[in-house]
Amino acid sequence: MCLAVPAKILHIEGHEAEVDFGGIRRTVSVQLLPQARVGDYVLVHTGFAIGLVDEEEALETLELLRQMGDLEPWEPTA
Amino acid sequence: MNTESLLQRFRDPQLARQLVAEIHALARSPMTFMEFCGGHTHAIMQFGIRQLMPPTVRLLSGPGCPVCVTSQADIDQAIALAQLPDVILTTFGDMVRVPGTQNTLQEAAAHGADVRIVYSPLDAVRLAQDHPERRVVFLGVGFETTAPGVAASILQAEALGLENYAVFSMHKYTPPAMRAILDMGEIRLNGVIGPGHVSTIIGSDAWSFLPEDYGIPVVVSGFEPVDILLTIRELVAQVARGEAKVVNAYGRAVLPQGNRAALDIMNRVFHVADADWRGFGVLPASGMAIRPEYRLFDAAHRFTLPEIPSREPPGCRCGDVLRGVIEPPECPLFGKVCTPDTPKGPCMVSDEGACSAHYLYRSVEIAEPASNS
Ligand code: SF4
Repeated sequence: MCLAVPAKILHIEGHEAEVDFGGIRRTVSVQLLPQARVGDYVLVHTGFAIGLVDEEEALETLELLRQMGDLEPWEPTA
Repeated sequence: MNTESLLQRFRDPQLARQLVAEIHALARSPMTFMEFCGGHTHAIMQFGIRQLMPPTVRLLSGPGCPVCVTSQADIDQAIALAQLPDVILTTFGDMVRVPGTQNTLQEAAAHGADVRIVYSPLDAVRLAQDHPERRVVFLGVGFETTAPGVAASILQAEALGLENYAVFSMHKYTPPAMRAILDMGEIRLNGVIGPGHVSTIIGSDAWSFLPEDYGIPVVVSGFEPVDILLTIRELVAQVARGEAKVVNAYGRAVLPQGNRAALDIMNRVFHVADADWRGFGVLPASGMAIRPEYRLFDAAHRFTLPEIPSREPPGCRCGDVLRGVIEPPECPLFGKVCTPDTPKGPCMVSDEGACSAHYLYRSVEIAEPASNS
């Protein structure tokens, strides 16, 4: 029930936003996320955008992981 | 970059293997971590993450399934509500198959009750608008992730001047259940995998009581395999170093302070109340009741419900599963009389239930037996 799915905001009008879930369009409420703007990625739960998805932060996590992998070569255990 | 390709990178097998190797190298002493959230339980089982762990690392499912922790009495009241004249009972899909003492919502519907599955509480408000002659009740089941949206639906009904919309609030706060598990002392935990989407709302800082009061680390996690492995690696590393901190490993979706606007709306409509949890009993200050100002939209206030002698399904160990005291296969009914097609308890019904996760992905366990290395 706490499932939330990322979507991109295409259009906002008042409390409502049209979003794109990888090809499927839907209207969701942005009432719980007033700072949301067109072009943002948001997490959608039960018809509400509940949080922004920070793309930069995501890329940073991945980059950090890759660097760690480079520094410490690992041995597969299987 | 679109979200799909970004998410794809959190499923990168190379990164996953690297993290698994690091977990194996770091986990020298036995340690047990609980994933609070049922969504994590499903991801962990689906991706076979338990089988990738070294024998020192044990993962345990927690109480993070809102449908599962709903008490039998509340389920029975919800079914009674559906049977009142003029009522359209709206709910998320999981609830309709949960066995009450006498029947399920689905069975009540087969006998004439008007039960409708909705995607959003706003759909229920729309239904109330379209059917002024009926009384529309929404079953408010969920944690902090869900409650703000339900609160918003009440504010919307108020703005529209609707008098035929009401919510039966069974919403619950997650931290009290985590505290209860640790206070009961039935199981020993070395760390907690913090719920990702609950934390989108309440913030990762809301979990600081775990290191402060219980001396154990908590890492807030996303739901992709790399997210979960990264979380476990951080937990293992903290235990190995003798540390206990809050770490947010889901920074792309969770802020330390959470979502202020959502919390404000939630707190405007709900106040803190005691709540009855399956497996726990009444936990003080763990539930969300509708404030007196919004009494018009409170089904508990608007409707007189019969006293029902509630009884949990005989033999069902769901409550023990929710406290992490047993694993689903230890329930004598698991996979025999209780399956997702014939669920005896809510833990087998819900998409977030531990019993359903164990049942659905049991082939993963069989196909890839633990390597024990
Ligand atoms: S397997 Fe079925 S009967 Fe057993 S605890 Fe789970 S839900 Fe209850």
